[in-house]
Amino acid sequence: MVTATPPTESRPAPPRDRCVTGIDGLDNILHGGIPKGSMVLLAGAVGTGKTTLSLEFLVRGAEAGERSLFLSVTESSVKLTENLSAFEFFRHDLLEAGSLVIVDLPDMYSRLGLDHEELTTEEIGLLTRSILALVAETGAQRVVLDSLTSVGYRIRREERIRDFMLTLGQGLNRLGCTTLLVSEVASSEGRYSAHGVEEAIVDGVILLGNASRRGDILRVLQVVKMRGTSHSRAQYVMELTPIGLLMAPHLKGNRPEGG
Amino acid sequence: MTEGSEIGERIRSLSPASAVAIRMNPREYADDYFAVLQSALKERGDGEDVHTIYVSVTNPCGLVWSIAQALDVSPDRISFVDAISHTMMNYREPLPNATYVESPRMLETIMLRVEYLLRRHASARPMLIIDSVNSLAIHNPQALLTEFFHILVNNLKSRQVLTLLLIVSEDTVSELDQLVSLIVDETIDVVRPPG
Repeated sequence: MVTATPPTESRPAPPRDRCVTGIDGLDNILHGGIPKGSMVLLAGAVGTGKTTLSLEFLVRGAEAGERSLFLSVTESSVKLTENLSAFEFFRHDLLEAGSLVIVDLPDMYSRLGLDHEELTTEEIGLLTRSILALVAETGAQRVVLDSLTSVGYRIRREERIRDFMLTLGQGLNRLGCTTLLVSEVASSEGRYSAHGVEEAIVDGVILLGNASRRGDILRVLQVVKMRGTSHSRAQYVMELTPIGLLMAPHLKGNRPEGG
Repeated sequence: MTEGSEIGERIRSLSPASAVAIRMNPREYADDYFAVLQSALKERGDGEDVHTIYVSVTNPCGLVWSIAQALDVSPDRISFVDAISHTMMNYREPLPNATYVESPRMLETIMLRVEYLLRRHASARPMLIIDSVNSLAIHNPQALLTEFFHILVNNLKSRQVLTLLLIVSEDTVSELDQLVSLIVDETIDVVRPPG
């Protein structure tokens, strides 16, 4: 039978549903948002805006009717809420309504008896299942783990980190979650995670950093990788304002490559 | 050439989606500058729902604000992006209607503060004044400045924002005049009546 339908392999893949981050600049860079169900590494040095970007991602989601969950290892939920209050985009009623949930991961460690320094394979499995159960219980469609690096310190071995991320990623994808994993990296390291395996597993990598222009420091953002969508790979300057993150192109001024 | 008394009329009649260079004479700078501020802030800025975003790179915004106050401009009608006070170590008494950029070299930050103020005053008809092209040129290489103006001005024009670029010009055509001519829709030369 002759048909006008082109062979399957030549047809463009149907566009994936997007998780519109609600951060205008980032959605433009990602040509509409993060493909839904993705697990994205948000990597950057200290003070580059990782936590603020993560929180705005969740608040915008909660405002749009997507339940959002923040798993905090490094900062207490009380301190995070205080910091959030400085932003005009933050609404306390989202917390009260359960649309935005902030959980202290150290409390979960204590409850599960995982207070010791290095977790065994079984304990990592228990932690993964507990996180997934919490996501299912809250009905979260957006999840942030701040930070993967801190959890990684207790997992330690590369192969276990790989297994943890694969199991967590598959579980979150099944639950329909779009996830940001915060990764703390020194600006001089030239990689996106503590062990170097994390960036290979995730669907996307967003890199935050500092760029110096004759001694002045600008916060910059670059999407290095994002499966399932075309995206800009250019570098953007980012500003943390009371109404949220704003982005502008990083001016080059005919600067030579690497200059 | 436009006489001081005519500047107000010219500025009032400008289309919202336009970028205009206002070229002042260095030998008459103080008088020209006052005439331009009076025309822009008072005669155009007093229009219904106009909000002026004033990017000050030449003088600290406190000085510009004192002139605006003398012209009886309401603080609700003007916001400043001050990119010079930090550099001049003159940041002791920040104005409530100003946002301060650490250095005039942080051009992207200037862009983003303008964007922030546009969003804050989204219900108003915006007007942007950049004071001045010369001062930005002192701190930035020309290629960077050209890129900055190209992105900023075209973005604002597409959003119906009137942009006034203040420039102090010599008699001969300078590199800055050439840069500005690439960006603006028209140039108004300020010439005040003799005496």
